[in-house]
Amino acid sequence: MNRKILLMSAPVAMQPGGYVPVAYADRTTPVTAAAEIAVEPGSGGWRVTLAWACPQPVRETVRETDRFADACAVFAPEAPESPWMTMGAQGLAVQGFLWRADRPGLWAIRAEGLGTMQRSAATGTQVSADWDNGRWRVVLSLPEWPALAAQRRVALAVWRGGAQERAGLKSVSAGWVDVA
Amino acid sequence: MRYDIPKPLRQVSMVLDLNKCLGCQTCTIACKKLWNTDEGTDYSYWNSVETLPGRGFPAGVHDPATGGRTVEGGVRRGVVPNLDTAYGRAWTFNHEEARASAGAPDKIWIRPRETVKWGPNFDEDQGQGDYPKDNHYFYLPRLCNHCTHPACVDACPRAAIAKRREDGIVLVDQDRCHGYRFCVEACPYKKVYYDHVRQVSTKCIFCLPRIEEGVAPACARQCPGRLRFVGYRDDEQGPIWKLVEKWKVAIPLHPEYGLGPNVFYVPPMSPPKLDAEGRPTGEPRIPVSYLESLFGAAVHPALEALLAERARRRRGEASELMDLLIAYDWQQNFRLPPRQREVLG
Repeated sequence: MNRKILLMSAPVAMQPGGYVPVAYADRTTPVTAAAEIAVEPGSGGWRVTLAWACPQPVRETVRETDRFADACAVFAPEAPESPWMTMGAQGLAVQGFLWRADRPGLWAIRAEGLGTMQRSAATGTQVSADWDNGRWRVVLSLPEWPALAAQRRVALAVWRGGAQERAGLKSVSAGWVDVA
Repeated sequence: MRYDIPKPLRQVSMVLDLNKCLGCQTCTIACKKLWNTDEGTDYSYWNSVETLPGRGFPAGVHDPATGGRTVEGGVRRGVVPNLDTAYGRAWTFNHEEARASAGAPDKIWIRPRETVKWGPNFDEDQGQGDYPKDNHYFYLPRLCNHCTHPACVDACPRAAIAKRREDGIVLVDQDRCHGYRFCVEACPYKKVYYDHVRQVSTKCIFCLPRIEEGVAPACARQCPGRLRFVGYRDDEQGPIWKLVEKWKVAIPLHPEYGLGPNVFYVPPMSPPKLDAEGRPTGEPRIPVSYLESLFGAAVHPALEALLAERARRRRGEASELMDLLIAYDWQQNFRLPPRQREVLG
């Protein structure tokens, strides 16, 4: 599977707490309008390539208080009914891998609803990321991924650090995307 | 989706008498040495003391544009302060270079290696006005207000910040925190900091291990000016209730944000301005309108009560308020549950 996905701004109105939905109510247009995603079976696993436009990359955040790194994530549903836009739901988890430009490796992530994401070191993975000519290209080499193998669907999220995007402030695919 | 923030069983609280603050920063150092010596917290001060009028710490903190609340108490997008221009980096110095030049004809003086842009209490003792007519300044020690309606709790999408049921202390669960910094952004007092090494938020914990043992926070215990009072809001025999509820001379900072701060200040009185001939005018040097911009309209009756009780004491009459503020018996400044009361020997 190799295709271009139009992204939308993740709805801030549903974000947990009273602050983000009001303070960022103006975030209705996606900061990143589109991304390319390729999902290919590899040797005993998967190779996922994400690419998107980013005019001003943010790679470093150490010794800074107000900088946020560029990031991206690819998800798969654990169950056929796992909802994407709410990052899963209780008993209907989503799981995936998170890359952040200021870290060397990947996080394995899992969530059962907004604000519930758990991060852990993603063992057996490799990642390479390059920014060139206004675009990020991130290649994730992943081990066996039973959720993807079973559901054959992915979703993606992109954060542009320079626009203060983090957490629920992100550009996302509008829904699950079938993997052929 | 707003969180339901349960009301704690009790609320621990602090009152600071600004008429007694020396600006010595002993409280700042006591706190810093106890809690914030790691690399990622180098710039952060859970307790800070700033000179006012001034830009404050972080710079611009008293500007309503930086906080996550409007002056009517509504939510607005705040600012995450910049390390260089708002907090000020913890500078490194050229000690080796200076030491090596000790015997040389051209000595190199000790100076920061970095370009200095700002720092805590950077505008120390500058104040405002013209000497000797109406120059003025005072010190404002600040810590987390452990608010009744904390903006930081409301801002965290991971529900990683909560008020303790036992005493209302607001704490960050750093195992849950992912370092998104909405809490830093939303707090109009800018008393949540970001540990840029561990990539989590940090804030004043009101020295909770000490509170649990009946010992006042380090900033209060170390204060040479004896200007801090610690206790529970509902203790009618304690200094907090007397100063806040009975005498109404202790008032919160920036009440307009509607967060219900649980740290209170006795506002500063000031000597009179002088006229062109150098005679006292009777008008206080610190403009009351400026104090009102910090403490709201309640500063007027608070100052009136303070002046009236001070006059009473000067006439030789008894004044519970003045006796309390003078802190004849320092141990009475701290009224924590007796079963946990510290034994001072």
